Amino acid sequence: MKAPTLFLSALTVLAAAQLTAQPSFTAPAPASVVLKQADQRRAAYEARVDEVVTWRASLAKPGELLTDMGIIAAKLVRREDADLCSRSVIELMKDPGTGPFWMFPAVSVAYLGRDQLSPEAKKSIRDAWRKVMQVRGDTENHWAMYYTSLYLMSELYPNEPADSWYSGKNSAENLAESREYLIHWMDLATTVGQGEFNPTHYIGEYAIPMMFLAAWAQDPEMRIRGQMKLDWLLADLAENTLNGVLHGANARTDDTSVIERWNALASFFSWIAFGNTPPPAGYGGWGIYFAIAAKGYDVPEVIYRIATDRGDDFLQRDLKRTRRRWRNSDVLMAPIYKQNYTRRGYAVGSYQGGMADPIQTHVWDVTWAVPDPRGVHNTMFSMHPMSSGYDMQTYFTELPDQMIKGVTKEGKASYDSPDKFLGGSRFEQVFQDLDTVIALYDIPAGTRFPHINGFFSKDLVNLTVDPSGWIFAQGGNTYLAYRPLADYELKSIARIKSSWTGERSDTGDKILYSPHLKNGTIVQAAAAGEFKDFAAFQAAIRALSLEFKLAPVPTVKFTTLRGKTVVCTYGAAPVVNGQPVDYTKWKLFEGPYLNAEKGSRRLTLTHGHLERVLDFNTLTITDRVRAN
Amino acid sequence: MIRSKILLSLLGLLAGSAAAAPASRHDMFVVASINNGFVVGSKMVTLSGLFQRGADNSYGHFGLNFPFIVSLAVDPRDAKVLYAASINGVLCSTDGGQNWRIGTSWDMTEPKDVCVDPNAPDHIYLALPDGIAVSTDRGATWPRRENGLPERGKYTQAVRVDRTRAGRALAACESGIYLTEDTAGSWRRVFAAAATVTDVRQSPHDSKLWLATTQSDGVLASRDGGLTWKKFAGLPTAEAHYNVAFDATNPRRFAIGGWTYGVLVTEDGGETWIERNTGLPEGHCVFRVGIDPDNGRLFAAVYKDAVFASDDFGRTWRKDGLEGSLVYNFHFVPKSAK
Repeated sequence: MKAPTLFLSALTVLAAAQLTAQPSFTAPAPASVVLKQADQRRAAYEARVDEVVTWRASLAKPGELLTDMGIIAAKLVRREDADLCSRSVIELMKDPGTGPFWMFPAVSVAYLGRDQLSPEAKKSIRDAWRKVMQVRGDTENHWAMYYTSLYLMSELYPNEPADSWYSGKNSAENLAESREYLIHWMDLATTVGQGEFNPTHYIGEYAIPMMFLAAWAQDPEMRIRGQMKLDWLLADLAENTLNGVLHGANARTDDTSVIERWNALASFFSWIAFGNTPPPAGYGGWGIYFAIAAKGYDVPEVIYRIATDRGDDFLQRDLKRTRRRWRNSDVLMAPIYKQNYTRRGYAVGSYQGGMADPIQTHVWDVTWAVPDPRGVHNTMFSMHPMSSGYDMQTYFTELPDQMIKGVTKEGKASYDSPDKFLGGSRFEQVFQDLDTVIALYDIPAGTRFPHINGFFSKDLVNLTVDPSGWIFAQGGNTYLAYRPLADYELKSIARIKSSWTGERSDTGDKILYSPHLKNGTIVQAAAAGEFKDFAAFQAAIRALSLEFKLAPVPTVKFTTLRGKTVVCTYGAAPVVNGQPVDYTKWKLFEGPYLNAEKGSRRLTLTHGHLERVLDFNTLTITDRVRAN
Repeated sequence: MIRSKILLSLLGLLAGSAAAAPASRHDMFVVASINNGFVVGSKMVTLSGLFQRGADNSYGHFGLNFPFIVSLAVDPRDAKVLYAASINGVLCSTDGGQNWRIGTSWDMTEPKDVCVDPNAPDHIYLALPDGIAVSTDRGATWPRRENGLPERGKYTQAVRVDRTRAGRALAACESGIYLTEDTAGSWRRVFAAAATVTDVRQSPHDSKLWLATTQSDGVLASRDGGLTWKKFAGLPTAEAHYNVAFDATNPRRFAIGGWTYGVLVTEDGGETWIERNTGLPEGHCVFRVGIDPDNGRLFAAVYKDAVFASDDFGRTWRKDGLEGSLVYNFHFVPKSAK
């Protein structure tokens, strides 16, 4: 349990962010315009990159040394104040941080400063990599950052002896170990899927290291791997966004982003790569480290189009995997069968339930489009608030009792709160068919929090508790029908806003609290334009065939708004129109935009006539314009 | 490598403590993290890692300042040769902790325990969350030695080598206790556990007597060298027991540490057990117990509070030091290991 949600210095930057102009953060939300000309796209992209760098450099305080490596990196990329940067680096390296969140900023300064920093400053960086043991960490994102950083520093300082590195290994040994791990990780991600899939914040902890590899690796193989994996990550982001806002299931998110879906580092990446949503405050804190190398990268048009230029509704299915399970499981990493169904006005996303990560999983939601997502809680879902030493031990190598206490002090303040909205549960099973979600719960007696929580946003309108048992509401231009399967109470909540401090505030949101062990939720979404009015939608929902029982296990038979007959029984495979769903046939990616066979290491991106193939078998990128 | 100017060398400490306490036959090392708000990536503002309790009862830090070391082993032939289980893998030092090398690679992470075979000190056992590795070349290489362990259920919390026979070791795993008699060439299960076995230790008095603590099977004893195990009837099983310590000065004294039950002791060889928590902080939350083999002093580490000591086997306690610490292990190393 060593993973921070955000490194503390990023918080400092975010605090400063409130004081200094950030044009795109404060400006109106970007218009939904698709830039069709390459030079226009490139110019807009470079303008965004410059905005980040300019802003971060402007945080320097006149006459003072720079205490933030992000500012130093910004100044170095602007090739200004080299002497100040050198003196600041020397001071910072007297007391370095430890671990991947320190390592990759240090790498950026080392590389950008190659021809700008003084010999003394460069030596101070080099010495820091000798004298302070760096923590490798315990998560997939930690290791991506750690090994990318160690790889690049070992390339920058080749042929140096073991006693000149904190690891006690020489440059060649560090390089070989780092390279081997990074290739191993890419192999996993391109065959059975990413573990920390679609994270709202940790996307930066992958995209930035891959950008660094693409920009700075001397080995051509690692350079192309970095570029290809960055393409892969951005394509995965593009597919899972609605007007730039990441929606649906996330391996890892936090108390804020799970509700205010836009408010995440992922929105920085949508903004900088696609320009289709505002960036978060301070460009997410980490955004600077992407920006400093971003001009060496071209966002492929096909990815840009997937993010910004959509016509028809689409269904995309992806294969991912859980975090490593050290114990309490028959498998080291279980498959995650993830899907999203995206329409112009809303998107529905989910995976099959269970835990992808012990603390920060988000399993399913309906997220609706809004003209400006800032401050809007544009989502609906339910969940079981799991808090369990047993489940923590599945994923962490710790003794059982202190973990809950510990994790609530390490940036996951809500973990042991009964009214949280963050986290997955072993006792939740989810099935999605297009814009219908059926979530069933079978919670054993004695479970710490024996109830489920449904999230009802402050931004819903026309919230109606119907005598039929359905709850109707409207979010944006989306009609929503929510059917609790057990008695509940719908009440106001002072929601946890900060994952770090546990600070609460009354945001106007409501919680659907249902204290029943055998439980369930059905949500059906639809576009407002499909109906004459809200009443017509309600009538249509009431007319749908629904049978359910909760004992001995929850079972639902429901005819969806799209005419499918779905039977879901807790603990059994879902059945659609009489056919059991066979997840074993799930591909790595399958949909109109991203396609890859399981185990293939080969991803095909398509949009209209555009096609890009990322082939990790041959380490080639192949673009073509397809005929009709 | 690490050459921290703020850290005392192990050699210096050893020399100092030996001069001040000539009667002591063991050095007491504590593996602890004192972690005030540290998260991965931030600066470390406190000292963590390896501590030695000096003759003046102070705890002196030595070696690496690293919050994620959990266990230590010392080569009995040379006290300067150290092995530390850490989040980064196993750390190896040949100069008493001044310089370290990460002995393992990316494919081994977060070992929980490390143990040197006292009769074959080139052989070092490493307890991993996904199995067991054994170095037979003094830490130069760390091949996995998992023949006989199950594909799943081999999470290993502790490993101990039989002091009477080279190559004979017991491993505390998720699925039970495993025994090897051929330097981990093969393992066989000698006890099936419902959840992780948290510790396994050999009596200093009777080499056939081993004790083990578990998360859900209570506390176990083996009186035939680990071949068969029996649960102590007088101890609870609802919550986890964390570790066990033998009193080298009294063969009938054992102590058990754990979060829920605090300190449990027996002074009649396990016939009866008594809670000895009076004087410990409320809620106790004991993470580790240890017993000084020179004088029978009982130590209890209370989670992120302090190390407490008792000279009357837990009847009374005094705060001994390392305030704010999370103690992962107590180690008592014979001074003869020089």
